[in-house]
Amino acid sequence: MGENSFIRLKNVSRSYIIGNKTFKAIDDISVDIDKGEFVVVLGPSGAGKSTLLNLLGAMDSATSGEIIIDGEDIVKYSDSKLTEFRANNVGFIFQFYNILPTLTVFENVEIIKDITKTDKKAEEVLASVGLHEHKDKFPNELSGGEQQRVSIARAVMKNPSLLLCDEPTGALDSNTGVEVLKLLKKQADEGTTVIIVTHNSLIAEMADKLIHLKNGKIDNVYVNPNPKKIEEVVW
Amino acid sequence: MLKRKMLRDIKKNISQFIAIFFMVMIGIMVYTGIEAYMTGMEKSADRFYEETNLFDLELYGNDFSKKDIEKLKDIKHVKDAERKLSIKAESGKEKTLLVNFIESNNICKLHVIEGEKFDVDKKGVYLDERYAKENNIKVGDYININYDSMKLSEKVLATINVADHLYDVKDDTEIFSSRKDLGFAYLSVNEIPEAFIKEKIMKKMNIPNENMFNAVVKDFDYKEYIPFNNIMIDVDSSENINYVKEESVSKLSNALVATKREENRSYSTYQGEINEGRAYVGIFSGLFLFIALLSVVTTMTRIIKKQRVQIGTLKAIGFKNSVIMKHYVGYAFWISLVAAIFGLLIGYYAIGGMFMHMQMSFFELPDASAIMHSSSYVVAVGVVIVTSAIAMFTGRSILMEKPAETLKVGILTSKKTNKNFTKGGIFKKMSFSTIWNIRDIFRNKIRVSMGVVGLMACSILIICAMGMANTMDHFIKVQFEDICNFEYKTTLKKDITKEELKSLENKYGDSSSQTLLIEIKYKDGEKSSNNAFVSNTGDMLRPINNDYKPIKFDDDSGVYMTYKLAANKGYKLGDEVEWRIYGSDKYYKSKIVGFNKDPQNQNISMTKTHLEAFHDIEYKADSLYSIKKVDRNLPGVELVQSRNKLKDSMNHMVSVMRSMIYVIIIVAIMLGLVIIYSIGVLSYTEKQYQFATLKVLGFPDKKIKRIFIKQNNWIAIISIILGLPLGYQLTNYLFENAIEETYDFSAYIEPMTYIVAGVGSFLVTLIVSQFLARKIRKIDMVSSLKASD
Repeated sequence: MGENSFIRLKNVSRSYIIGNKTFKAIDDISVDIDKGEFVVVLGPSGAGKSTLLNLLGAMDSATSGEIIIDGEDIVKYSDSKLTEFRANNVGFIFQFYNILPTLTVFENVEIIKDITKTDKKAEEVLASVGLHEHKDKFPNELSGGEQQRVSIARAVMKNPSLLLCDEPTGALDSNTGVEVLKLLKKQADEGTTVIIVTHNSLIAEMADKLIHLKNGKIDNVYVNPNPKKIEEVVW
Repeated sequence: MLKRKMLRDIKKNISQFIAIFFMVMIGIMVYTGIEAYMTGMEKSADRFYEETNLFDLELYGNDFSKKDIEKLKDIKHVKDAERKLSIKAESGKEKTLLVNFIESNNICKLHVIEGEKFDVDKKGVYLDERYAKENNIKVGDYININYDSMKLSEKVLATINVADHLYDVKDDTEIFSSRKDLGFAYLSVNEIPEAFIKEKIMKKMNIPNENMFNAVVKDFDYKEYIPFNNIMIDVDSSENINYVKEESVSKLSNALVATKREENRSYSTYQGEINEGRAYVGIFSGLFLFIALLSVVTTMTRIIKKQRVQIGTLKAIGFKNSVIMKHYVGYAFWISLVAAIFGLLIGYYAIGGMFMHMQMSFFELPDASAIMHSSSYVVAVGVVIVTSAIAMFTGRSILMEKPAETLKVGILTSKKTNKNFTKGGIFKKMSFSTIWNIRDIFRNKIRVSMGVVGLMACSILIICAMGMANTMDHFIKVQFEDICNFEYKTTLKKDITKEELKSLENKYGDSSSQTLLIEIKYKDGEKSSNNAFVSNTGDMLRPINNDYKPIKFDDDSGVYMTYKLAANKGYKLGDEVEWRIYGSDKYYKSKIVGFNKDPQNQNISMTKTHLEAFHDIEYKADSLYSIKKVDRNLPGVELVQSRNKLKDSMNHMVSVMRSMIYVIIIVAIMLGLVIIYSIGVLSYTEKQYQFATLKVLGFPDKKIKRIFIKQNNWIAIISIILGLPLGYQLTNYLFENAIEETYDFSAYIEPMTYIVAGVGSFLVTLIVSQFLARKIRKIDMVSSLKASD
């Protein structure tokens, strides 16, 4: 905890200028997240959840403050360093999957080898998410849940230290959503820090840490002493 | 409110709308410009011919009398006939004036630019307006006109244009004469000095002195003895021209040949220019329009499809289909309407006006201007309708869906398993960027095909335009460096004596030729005017075969026919060809002993020995070829032209065409640029979402740029590979089929042209791709991924 946290956000703000007004999407946030934690970020629309995720994923830059990940302040990174950081450390999972339609399932995962060194094998990763049989299919031949699993496999292929998920179950039915959450929890159990942004408060029951955002500020940080197993959550 | 949305959508997709604007504008601009130029050429001349009553027929002969005119006027369907004496006179150093002495001026009326109208009783000269301008001669100035012993100093009464002098050359070997050195002039017959006529008659009748002449010719009225050599005939209607032509030759024994206005050099050269223009320029304008429309259709379709979610939203909130449809048709309608108006105006004023201006440096025609052709309006309206219809059909296909379906964008909907050949085999070994691009091409066949066809057509246009310039240069080289081996060509006077010729031959060599005006009776019975080249040129002229290799006219037992004429009329080696010299009814038969290629004339050639073997035809040289410059003042010499000057003349003529070609190349490059840009923008826009994903995954910008540029490079390479040979084929087609029958040259395209066109097109594509690829750096991952549609 504290200085040794895997992720430290210190007085982080992200503001946008809209017309003549400055809008603060994230307003002076400070929070620590440990390695291997399964973190759920909750909050109403416009609370700043996705902005927070984008800042952590180096997809966006903070206006002020420090974002220290594994001891390095990524706010100070140049564009190319941020790219390198994303390539080597961050896995993303989006609500609408964002997989590449012109690549097969296998190729969508294997593509990671083009940008970073990984000792993982695409076939094994696909097998781990239950998609081995579909590896030669194109994304449009898969169901929504299967597509999200491709997205997870692609993220896992990097062996990332940080897995960022933006409404990963938002477009899925509850059974499929559960399957996806199982996979994400498994990653956290294996030491990857998983941060999930969601509207679904049920997911919060399985979180190690719960961050409540409201109007760009942290409303509450709750450390869950007894996170539930996914099977124990009533969906 | 929807209007505001439309304006903002246009602003948001400004680059694509600008591309559409330019494509529509360029397509219509080129079409309108070329049509306005061709119509201007046609109508300006027709109007002038009509206004000045250009003759329908011309009779060439000797000593046409008043009785001859009366006989002609008695022929049914003849409205009027006027005779004239046409001579080639000199006016100062190296200046030739085609002088016509006339009695009246109801046919081929003089069009006065400045000065007074023709009056037979006025003393003075009516002078060619361009010649006067080039030589800074004003109305009221005096000019000298010299012809043999006739020396006139005449006051310029007016500057004029005349319908049968739109184009003039000093003699048949010239293609272009500088109007500073060549002009035409009209004078009243009263200006012919009596002494000049008397001298001619004395020479003709072999009367040594004037006393004897006065004793022989009583009551001499010199006007009765003016040797009029041309009669212009006005026929009541075009269908009676052939009848009058035959009747006039049969009734006038001194008529050598009757020719229709279509055979007149000025008329036929001008008409030839229109016909050639119609053929090759028509292809250009069609191609431009086709490419532009193709690109517009594809781009418009894509723009509307991109609005899918918005269409679904409008529908979901209760807008009527018709309102939504009208809104989206408005996109295409307004942008193409404005572009079409610009295209019409710029095409008419800039392209049409510029081409007309270029042509009028070659032809002398008053008030010639580009004229808007009605088809341009039809094409403009058509393009607006097609563009709007495309928007309508694309919009309608989306409107047919349920709003819920329409709104489901960004998620790849589940489809049945499909076979894809790129999953295995060699494709497995390909890099990510290669396989990604291959599949992207197959997923976006229409966009890619449009790109390939558009760029290919631009390559064809560039190759064809540059190839035409190459071919003309090659033609000039063949004509003036391979075939012509002389330095000077001397045109001899018609009445040159044997002694005068002998003296010239002794001094400058005896390489000479004669060109006979003949009629050929072909196998199928068809007769047509042609000429026979009688060669005594030695090595001064080197005829060539189809491979441009030199051959010799050395078989005295028959004639040589040009390949193109033989092919057109079905003649083989050993066949006999029948011909007669104009002025004689006797037909001669000659065996074809060989073929030659002549880029400029399709005729027959023979040796002097073959001609003289007919016994009743005498070889009379009309041209002398030499290395040394012949003194123009020597007796019997009419004109001396250097090979370089002949070449320069040809170059000048070609320069008009070359200027047009440059314009076509520039516009083709512009269109190519817009197409590449348009495809690039489409391609980029459609991939932006995927590029954002790649960026999020950690792909460096450089790597993403390479992926993007790779596909555009492939499209460019495929287009160039297809375009270069097709460009050659089109050029060859134009030269083999579209040019006048008298010409024979196939396309000759320099290897450097292919390299310049190929490498140039590729580099342009690369530059545009690099320019667009700069956007990748600016991709906002957050908003790009949100805006998944």
